[in-house]
Amino acid sequence: MTQPILHVRDLSVALPKGADRPFAVEGVTLEVNPAEILCIVGESGSGKSVLTATLMGAAPRGLRVARGQALMSDEDLLRVSERRWRDIRGKDIGMIFQEPMASLNPALTVAQQIEEVFELHSDLPRAERQRRARALVEEMHLPEPDRILRSYPHQLSGGQCQRVVIAMALAMSPRLLIADEPTTALDVTTQAQVLKLIRELRDHHGHGIIFITHDLGVVADIADRIAVMRQGQIVEIGSAEQVLKSPAHDYTKALIAAVPSLEPHDRPPAPAGASALRVDALNHSYGTKQVLHDIEIDLSPGRVLSIVGESGSGKSTIARNLIRLTDPSSGRVVVAGQEMLALKGGALRKMRRKIQMVFQDPFGSLNPRRKVGPMIARAAMLSGASRAEAIARTKDLLELVGLQRSAYDRRPAAFSGGQRQRIGIARALAMQPDVLIADESVSALDVSVQAQVLDLLADLQSRLSLAVVFITHDLRVAAQISDEIIVLSKGHVVERGPASAVLSAPQHPYTRDLLAAAPGRGVF
Amino acid sequence: MTLGSFLLRKTAVAILTMLTVSFLIFLAFEVNVADVAVKVLGQYSTPDQRTAWLAENGYYDPFVIRYLRWLGGFVTGDWGLSTFFRVPITSIVFPRLGASALLAGGALLVIVVFGLGLGILAGMRAGSLLDRVISVFSVITTSIPDFASAVFLSGIFVFWLGLLPGASTMISGFSLRELILPVLVLGLYSMGYLARITRASMVEVMGTHYIRTARLKGANPARIVLRHAMRNALITPVTVIMLQLPWLLSGVIVIEVFYAYKGFGSLLYDAALNQDIYLVEACAMVSVLVVVLSQILSDLIYGWLNPRISLGAKA
Amino acid sequence: MKILLPYLKKPLVVIGVALSGGWLLVAFLAPILAPYDPLETLQPLARPMATGADGQLFVLGTDMLGRDILSRLIWGARTVVIYSTLATLTAYAFGMLFGLIAGYMGGRIDAALSFAANVVLSFPVLVLYIVIIVLIGASPLNIVIAVTFSSAPAIFRIVRGITMDVASRDYVAAAITQGESTWRILLVDILPNTTGPLAVDFCLRLGYTAITIGTLGFLGLGLPPPTPDWGGMVNEGRAMAIAFPHLVIFPCIAISSLTLGLSLLADGLREVNEAKERQA
Repeated sequence: MTQPILHVRDLSVALPKGADRPFAVEGVTLEVNPAEILCIVGESGSGKSVLTATLMGAAPRGLRVARGQALMSDEDLLRVSERRWRDIRGKDIGMIFQEPMASLNPALTVAQQIEEVFELHSDLPRAERQRRARALVEEMHLPEPDRILRSYPHQLSGGQCQRVVIAMALAMSPRLLIADEPTTALDVTTQAQVLKLIRELRDHHGHGIIFITHDLGVVADIADRIAVMRQGQIVEIGSAEQVLKSPAHDYTKALIAAVPSLEPHDRPPAPAGASALRVDALNHSYGTKQVLHDIEIDLSPGRVLSIVGESGSGKSTIARNLIRLTDPSSGRVVVAGQEMLALKGGALRKMRRKIQMVFQDPFGSLNPRRKVGPMIARAAMLSGASRAEAIARTKDLLELVGLQRSAYDRRPAAFSGGQRQRIGIARALAMQPDVLIADESVSALDVSVQAQVLDLLADLQSRLSLAVVFITHDLRVAAQISDEIIVLSKGHVVERGPASAVLSAPQHPYTRDLLAAAPGRGVF
Repeated sequence: MTLGSFLLRKTAVAILTMLTVSFLIFLAFEVNVADVAVKVLGQYSTPDQRTAWLAENGYYDPFVIRYLRWLGGFVTGDWGLSTFFRVPITSIVFPRLGASALLAGGALLVIVVFGLGLGILAGMRAGSLLDRVISVFSVITTSIPDFASAVFLSGIFVFWLGLLPGASTMISGFSLRELILPVLVLGLYSMGYLARITRASMVEVMGTHYIRTARLKGANPARIVLRHAMRNALITPVTVIMLQLPWLLSGVIVIEVFYAYKGFGSLLYDAALNQDIYLVEACAMVSVLVVVLSQILSDLIYGWLNPRISLGAKA
Repeated sequence: MKILLPYLKKPLVVIGVALSGGWLLVAFLAPILAPYDPLETLQPLARPMATGADGQLFVLGTDMLGRDILSRLIWGARTVVIYSTLATLTAYAFGMLFGLIAGYMGGRIDAALSFAANVVLSFPVLVLYIVIIVLIGASPLNIVIAVTFSSAPAIFRIVRGITMDVASRDYVAAAITQGESTWRILLVDILPNTTGPLAVDFCLRLGYTAITIGTLGFLGLGLPPPTPDWGGMVNEGRAMAIAFPHLVIFPCIAISSLTLGLSLLADGLREVNEAKERQA
């Protein structure tokens, strides 16, 4: 057995007084071995980011190491001076972050930023620094290395930026690499490539890697060992095989159970009859750039259609066109037999209630100044209900979406992200729409909360016989909820069909790529 | 967007603004011809004199014609006669403008050196003692009216310490000593303002992910500030410096009146007190021109400093 | 009280509240607080703490017309508070109305309103005042008009910016998709969410307006005499300031302390706003 690179013993980090718990990180013990990826998995607030920041000597202000050790070659990182840290950082420990673009200095070129690591930690002459920077960029499989080196960060894509950040972290070939949600901000196909790169690094250079993530799919793809964190503590730690296949702790079991499966449910075929939503030849352009090309949708009442695509595919533009926040360049949108795009003014306002939306950001979609009850009741009244009816309907809806009746008199700030999404759903339903559009409505939520909100949506949808357009980047989520799936790429529908067919026998190469890139395939 | 088309668009907007402003100024001062005659010939002129003068100078032509004639004269450098000073307006405005430029240039130097310097020092470590001291200082300087700081500083340096002269008439030729107090007082407000902007920008940059990256690469604090933070943090403040020119033009009036300095500000003031409308028109046009030009310059600097922004994307 | 608590924890904010609140109180209680009639001629050019022939005490001395400076300062507080508030409020009424409309509607309405605002803003403030005062003369009403005219475009710009930001939030999109009317969206969803930053700006602008009124007074273009007005007092006393510094020092301290108080108050508000935003 080789010596571990890092040995953390009984580490506790205290939160300031008045926080909801005494410790951000409590009694954490773990070790990282060479050529090993240790995944630390946890939901928001689990303390996983505080843990890694502490290991880099960069704990947020107000937090204090209460006890413990973090030994790296017999040196306790928790008791190292700031001056000594400057030697360690970049040389012995490299770090990769969640926001690749924001992690690079906008005013310096890629070459300057990579070469700086050598300037700081070596006496290499300038020509050698340049040569090594170029070699690193090549090793990251970046195209046109010379162009990349000359570029400023804003001229690169998110995935390219992340490779540059990784190159910087690896410049001095540190023994330990800490990666904090490094792929969360990336599209799935890019994510798959970056994960592959990180695995290569482990295999070829023998780095010890701590990989923080909330995504169990990613964990399944990359982890050698897994530590599950919850409320600052490690509740379970072990080999990937053991933790994923036979979890010991209830929390781990619950997390694993909450991961949506890629296997679609069996769904009956679409019933014949009038459609709730029909879209014909929808086109949309921003200036001269066409972002949507001839989109066609036909959706019956009581059915769920998922529109799946990566960022920039145009899926959110479809949503905004459907609810007429923006007007498409051409096409027809027919809701409950009524052509929407021809309507204006009062007639449009009346028809709007037929098609409602649940938004992505639980924090931006509720007016912070309004109480929840009156907000929902107002929606009910706009749909034609009397005041008394509206209040009664609001109270029913609050219960229906699983909130206390006392929520009526509270403002949004009093609720968690998941609860806010429930409020958003209640507000949309208060108008008794025929069509509900959910634009990435669960993607900002933790996986366990996500599962609950998804269940709620599915339940309401079947009970109220709603037609739902579900917009998502996440194939797993789509698999759980959809009857039909449309795959969107660069504004074109590249594949459409029943969920089971699209997911089990994809026809278009892009769909296959998406499926292949979905993290954790074969495990979940 | 290329530099050429950016400049072209900015210039077009500037010209449109100048045209609108000139029309408004002309409308405000000269739409009522009877009024013009009273102001030019004085209250004791007879109605006959006024009518004759108006006819002689084409004041009975349609308004639009008069405006175009006035504008044409303005563009070609024929700004008319000052009724108070009895000389061609151009012969008095430009020397005075030069004198004010000296004053404003000195103030600008104070503003840039101390404003940026104090702002960076304060913003390097938000919440430190140094930060708090500088912040209080800049709140104070931006709260006190120009005329009050002139009174306070003159009280200290002229009457109490006896170090500097209390006026800046420059009767016996140019005097650097006479310039010190006016420059200081004029720069004080904008200096505090710039320090605040710089501090805020610096604090924001110090909190970004890329500064964290630099720290976690092992860069020392001096390197972080000088190489990583400063260039990004200075984009906004440097842009703002140019936008302080309108403020300085306002301040120049107060300072020049206070210190009896013969510059553009006191010229406008004298013109206003003496109802010298042609001179007021000319001074107003020049002031607006200075502002409009400083805005173009500010946009150019912003585009030049910020590699992320192609020119014009901000506007 | 609970809302005020975070504001009162910072010493600078307490000073700000004390200064601006203090002057407000002085303005309100001027008839009670002022020892003499501010317009009455008592004894010319008495030094501070001097005693008059009839045994009156002139705490801050008297001016060359023999009027008690303390009384004039106290009544001057009333002048500055009334006219600053009035002028700022009118400027806000116009600035907010057009700012909300331009920010929410966008397009041509916005382009036209923004151009108009830029035209006014391309005048240096004091140049604009002087032009307006030359045109319409100095009177209390005209000063309010001049301040409104020159401040409203700046307020317009701020309100427009904030409105555009708030209007891009999803809750506004939600209100639109519910078929809510434009006016109701402006009043219920947008306006209440602009108040935080606007409160800060209001305090600052109140200070600017006080400075402006003072500066116009100093230039002799302000409220016509004999109205007690701090800037005007400095102007009148300037010629004799070498021999009698109390003529100008006290009015300068008065106006500086008021505007400093308002700035500190604005800073406090801003910090609390930012703390709230971080929490959310």
